[in-house]
Amino acid sequence: MNPTLYRDFAQDFFTLHQCKIIEESSHHFKVKLTSDIDEEIMNRPFYWHYMKKMNRSGDPATLSFHLSQSENHEGIYLHAGTPKLHTLYRTAMKKGKMTRLYEATDVPNHHEALTPWFAINVLLHYRGKQTRNEHLALGLNLINGSIIPSFTESIWSESFKATVTDYTFPMTPIINLRSAYKRIEGYIESYVSRKTHEWAQQSIEQLKEEVTLLKSFYESGDMEEEQYQKEYDQLKERYEPRIIMEVINGGLFYLSGQTNAKLFKQLG
Amino acid sequence: MFDIHPDSTFIHTFSDRLEKSENLCTWEQFKLAYRASQFQSISDFDGLLALEHLPHVTFMPHQVEAAKTAIHEMNGRAILADEVGLGKTLEAGLILKEYMIRGMAKKILILTPASLVNQWVQELDQKFHIQAASPRKKHAAWKDWDITVTSIDMAKRENHRETILSIPYDLIIIDEAHKLKNHQTRNYQFVQSLKKTYCLLLTATPIQNKLSDLFNLVSILKPGYLGHLTDFKKKYRGSQNTEHIHSLVGRVMIRNRRQDTGLNHSSRVVAHERLNFTDEEQQWYEKLQTFKENSHAFTWLTLAKEFCSSREACFMSLKEIAKKTTEENKAIITEMIKQLEQLPHHAKAMRMVELIKEKPEKFIVFTEYRATQFYLQWFLQQHGISSVPFSGKFNKSKRDWMKQLFKNQAQVMIATEAGAEGINLQFCHNMINYDLPWNPMRLEQRIGRIHRFGQERDVHIYNFAINNTIEEHIMSMLYEKIDVFRHAVGDLDHILEKIPGGSFENQVQSILEEAESAGEVNIKMKNLVSYVEHTVNERKESS
Repeated sequence: MNPTLYRDFAQDFFTLHQCKIIEESSHHFKVKLTSDIDEEIMNRPFYWHYMKKMNRSGDPATLSFHLSQSENHEGIYLHAGTPKLHTLYRTAMKKGKMTRLYEATDVPNHHEALTPWFAINVLLHYRGKQTRNEHLALGLNLINGSIIPSFTESIWSESFKATVTDYTFPMTPIINLRSAYKRIEGYIESYVSRKTHEWAQQSIEQLKEEVTLLKSFYESGDMEEEQYQKEYDQLKERYEPRIIMEVINGGLFYLSGQTNAKLFKQLG
Repeated sequence: MFDIHPDSTFIHTFSDRLEKSENLCTWEQFKLAYRASQFQSISDFDGLLALEHLPHVTFMPHQVEAAKTAIHEMNGRAILADEVGLGKTLEAGLILKEYMIRGMAKKILILTPASLVNQWVQELDQKFHIQAASPRKKHAAWKDWDITVTSIDMAKRENHRETILSIPYDLIIIDEAHKLKNHQTRNYQFVQSLKKTYCLLLTATPIQNKLSDLFNLVSILKPGYLGHLTDFKKKYRGSQNTEHIHSLVGRVMIRNRRQDTGLNHSSRVVAHERLNFTDEEQQWYEKLQTFKENSHAFTWLTLAKEFCSSREACFMSLKEIAKKTTEENKAIITEMIKQLEQLPHHAKAMRMVELIKEKPEKFIVFTEYRATQFYLQWFLQQHGISSVPFSGKFNKSKRDWMKQLFKNQAQVMIATEAGAEGINLQFCHNMINYDLPWNPMRLEQRIGRIHRFGQERDVHIYNFAINNTIEEHIMSMLYEKIDVFRHAVGDLDHILEKIPGGSFENQVQSILEEAESAGEVNIKMKNLVSYVEHTVNERKESS
């Protein structure tokens, strides 16, 4: 992956959380953390516990990141595996898990109705003999039930606020969230079933082969039943194909008529 | 064909938070979380993602290949059996990292000999950015720790055993797994009862003596794969069927040999240093012969060996003997001790100092005797050369400390044999074998401390021996003749262990004890060497 992607992400993370970038060049940047972010990502709970107890403000750390590897500079080399970067991912995902947002339209269009959508981003983990995963970003219209793929990307450049603006009002959803979630699950099931699954086929064959071997060994009397059961369970864990659905984040979004129309146009 | 496991918690928490209007994020935070998740996408079933995560480590092609094979072809249960020094630990770390990135392993247990626990924890941290815990005396949170490194002995202790056996581990790595060759031992049974999905066994010597060793290792990974032990033994008693077994084992075992890996950019420069005693020393050595004539062959051998190392080593034994012997003998020994004290500094010690002074680099010196170790340390100090001692008997923290001192401050490390396993000193490029062990494989282990994967410079090995003593025989037979075969077959140790009538080392010992003249020693040693040569050739032809 392009190394500037990591840099962009890290810098956006820090600026979004009010940490000041105090030095910057094409190959490095330096950032002064806030107390909150220091506590969140620097893994020094005792220090902060002590500071709070003593009623002191504490001294948040300064981090410098480099885009290339060299012994000459102190600081963190930023690449796909940088542990600190992974801490940032985790923190970002924790802090951005759930939301409710109203689109902020700049045209004062009196009493415009905002349409409620349930946005949900999931990772599908395909697990069997081998693994991979797949992203799905779905949006479900809570008035008419239609589902749109790549929802989050489609509304990426619109602006949203936590409170509804004076000129607009949110419509009450007709479909409640729990049944919306059920529909999403159903959608994912049918999405998955429309694809071919060589990986699952291979996993099943491998599982069969190894179970047969284990069984014949067990039946020949060289193995206790308890041991057999344990080995059998381990084989299933190792090969049995399954898809694990993990929700990254989700939100209730109220969209303006204009954005709504754009989405449906996309849907065709 | 497969189940879909839904995320059962999300919607409840979400409804709850919406209702209370708390813990809701901004649009920017929502988008950032989405971006973060995209960095974790894994689009392919194949390949190694870990490589991109570890740009600071240079992996050799055979290591990358091994990791891919273990994961994608052997499906995570494999024996990693590269020869010593080719980086099995790196392969295991790479596999572990890949499983973590792919989300297939979270709960991981690594079992190693106690002396290697710290090294594993350190390597995982520095090379793989993986934080592992290892239990101390009282503190062991098996259930809370995701990644634990410990010894089998610690794990199977009564207060830990049940907890560990109850945890379903995703991945278990067992280092030095050849120690599990016997299925009747408690260690073996313990390992077999562990709950595990994936499992790696690391060993440089998958077969130590018998094919059944291999059978038992494979049975940990795939019970039943090689049939039953009794059938197996019957079938492979003759050696005709070994081809079949090799092809079976090839599906669960990866073995790289040094010659296949092109790992030769760092080469060994071996110098055999034949030294002479001073006249006084030589005379004293001749006097020792009287012990042999008085039918104390074993005593003589011990003393002669010690004297070739240092006066100090010999002095200790003489004193012990004096305590136990008759009055008449005592007088002789006391006289010998007196003369011993008059002797000049040992010929080997002088040569050692000379070598070290010529070359202002780090040296590791191996001796067989503690007394010699003390003497050499003192002697180096007299010449203004800093040194640290090392012994396998030191406890963990002392060993680490000595290694650190050697790396950062001292020029020389003086180690006794017991220190040969489990320390890596790639920063050192010179080794003096002050005393030569009687088993060439033990020398190989010593050299493996510095000439191993990660060594970028040529290493210089100086082997010391004193002319006109037993050491001369050892040098010319073992290290000049047998060493030639070492390159011909990978597992010379295997052959040396299986010589009829005891191990190679024992044979050498009895020759030296029993032979009446230097000529007889020579002939008998030659016979022994030609026996080894014969076996080696036989082995070569059959394979």
